[in-house]
Amino acid sequence: MRRRVLHALPAIALALALVGVWEAYVDLGLVNPIVLPAPHEVAAEAWNNAGLLAANLELTAQEVGLGVLLALLCGFVLGVLIHLSPPLRRAVYPLAVGSQAVPVALIGVLLVFWWGFGVLPKLFVIVLICFFPVVVTTVDGLAAVDPDQLKLLRTLGASRWQALRFGELPAAVPAALSGARIALAVGVIGAYIAETSTATSGPYAGLGHQINADINGLQTPRAYAAAVVLFVFAIACFYTLALAERVLAPWANRSSLSSTPYGPTTRGENR
Amino acid sequence: MRIPPAVRRAAVLAPRYGWSVLIACICAVALAACGTKQDTLSSPGAKPFTVMLDWFPNADHAPLYAAISHGYFNQVGLDVRPIVPSETAEPLKLLAAGKVDMAISYEPQLLLARDQGLKLVSIAALVQRPLTSIIALPSAHVQKVADLAGKRVGTAGLAYQAAELHTALQAAGVNPSSVQEADVGFNLVPAMLSGKVAATLGGYWNYEALQLEEMHKHPIVIPIDQAGVPIYNELVLVVRSEEARLHGEDLRAFLQALTRGEQQVRANPAAAAALIVKANPAAELKLQTASVEKTLPATVPTNKSDPYGWQDPSAWAAFGSWMLAHGLIHSNPNTTGLPPFTNEFLPGQGI
Repeated sequence: MRRRVLHALPAIALALALVGVWEAYVDLGLVNPIVLPAPHEVAAEAWNNAGLLAANLELTAQEVGLGVLLALLCGFVLGVLIHLSPPLRRAVYPLAVGSQAVPVALIGVLLVFWWGFGVLPKLFVIVLICFFPVVVTTVDGLAAVDPDQLKLLRTLGASRWQALRFGELPAAVPAALSGARIALAVGVIGAYIAETSTATSGPYAGLGHQINADINGLQTPRAYAAAVVLFVFAIACFYTLALAERVLAPWANRSSLSSTPYGPTTRGENR
Repeated sequence: MRIPPAVRRAAVLAPRYGWSVLIACICAVALAACGTKQDTLSSPGAKPFTVMLDWFPNADHAPLYAAISHGYFNQVGLDVRPIVPSETAEPLKLLAAGKVDMAISYEPQLLLARDQGLKLVSIAALVQRPLTSIIALPSAHVQKVADLAGKRVGTAGLAYQAAELHTALQAAGVNPSSVQEADVGFNLVPAMLSGKVAATLGGYWNYEALQLEEMHKHPIVIPIDQAGVPIYNELVLVVRSEEARLHGEDLRAFLQALTRGEQQVRANPAAAAALIVKANPAAELKLQTASVEKTLPATVPTNKSDPYGWQDPSAWAAFGSWMLAHGLIHSNPNTTGLPPFTNEFLPGQGI
């Protein structure tokens, strides 16, 4: 326990230092509080609007959870397909890269036209933003499997499917999980983009929607409070996935387990 | 499938429960998503009728929310559901695409959309005159439009706002080229507060101006129709022309219910503001109450004998000509095709 606290110490110290600089910057009158509110004001606003923030976070969290899961699924499957079929790779890869340049605000209205005012258009936006890192890392992971291991599998009479199942896929999972971690971190801003570029119904429409409304309503402190919630949520997601990885793919971090807390593992360690 | 034991041993052994856990997670989340349904307050048999707002629910929409919560729409057989857009051009697009039954938009925006060939028509004015204003803070030493000479003015970046600024400057005898226009997007008020612009054009006198007032900033507010821009209906209710032709009964019923909603707002502005906050919990009650009260005089026609929602034909003609003269639209709305508005569905109007 004590070791964990020690591990977290640098993060806490850095965060406190940054908040301190921010507080001083505002308190010294270097910026108008409507442009940048002080941390204590943001904290008070978060406290006073806890119910509103919680209701909106619940929606945003659902979108991020579902959206990232779909993105992982689509990204991983697409990555494997691309790996297995060079023609597919040539056909799909450029489009996948290009998809990252699509301005979501432009297609938001089309997505709403197709799928209405519910969660579907938002999920699509999150998947669009998040699937790419998963595809790239999966494809690279599949290609980076130890050639000797594949040779061995072939010598032992493994079929193509078996080579994939027992050779390439397990080797690719750590890389794919790195992609997943990127996807999850990006997924939160993806949800913000999704909420602010598609129409919605109902009183609560997520933190992103609330931030936009607050920017327009001059409620800058509350917009910052919502942003802080998103910030913390993204960090929480990232580390939750790190924990989940140990359950889903314990072989991915065997060598780096001792060197937690979590940082992106280097692929080489696993061999 | 039979797997040679040697393959099993040689392979990096993937615990199979890993995959089942993943699949179970996906199923669980998918199920959870299916479970979150939206609750609707509708009476059985009422016809679903979606209205896309122009913006987040606010004081301008008070009559709509009053009519919903008092059940006036249900009484005429309509189950009205408001939808919040992501940006101001979205409502007319989704209306034209048939995704919503009615859109709240702005007269200039409607004329632009019609100029693009969208077959839409305004059936009522929610707000009679422009809310858009030139707003300045005392520190910028702008008391009247003429004071803007040589200064920088922020707008939300819409072409017709630039034209409005142009007209206002010319009316005040200022050479428009001496004024620098800056597109500050959403951030009209922060741009002023941080001193980046001397004034803004695009904020509303019943909203941004009130916010600044609440912050004790004592803004100078000049509604643009008092600065030389022809009067127009800031907010209008728009439907597809075909819908107006085929389902006039629904529209007539809608406007009847809306008129009763407006009477409720007039009778009890504070209660109406509370309904706005209920629909948009992020809205602030004090500001919404002030805004509802401030807006009331602008929701009724100048001529008392005209019904609520009335659109003044001569004002529409003058504003259409103004847009044409400034090159904002390419065909004359007064002479091309059907008129952009109709009063025939208002209570007591039509055949």
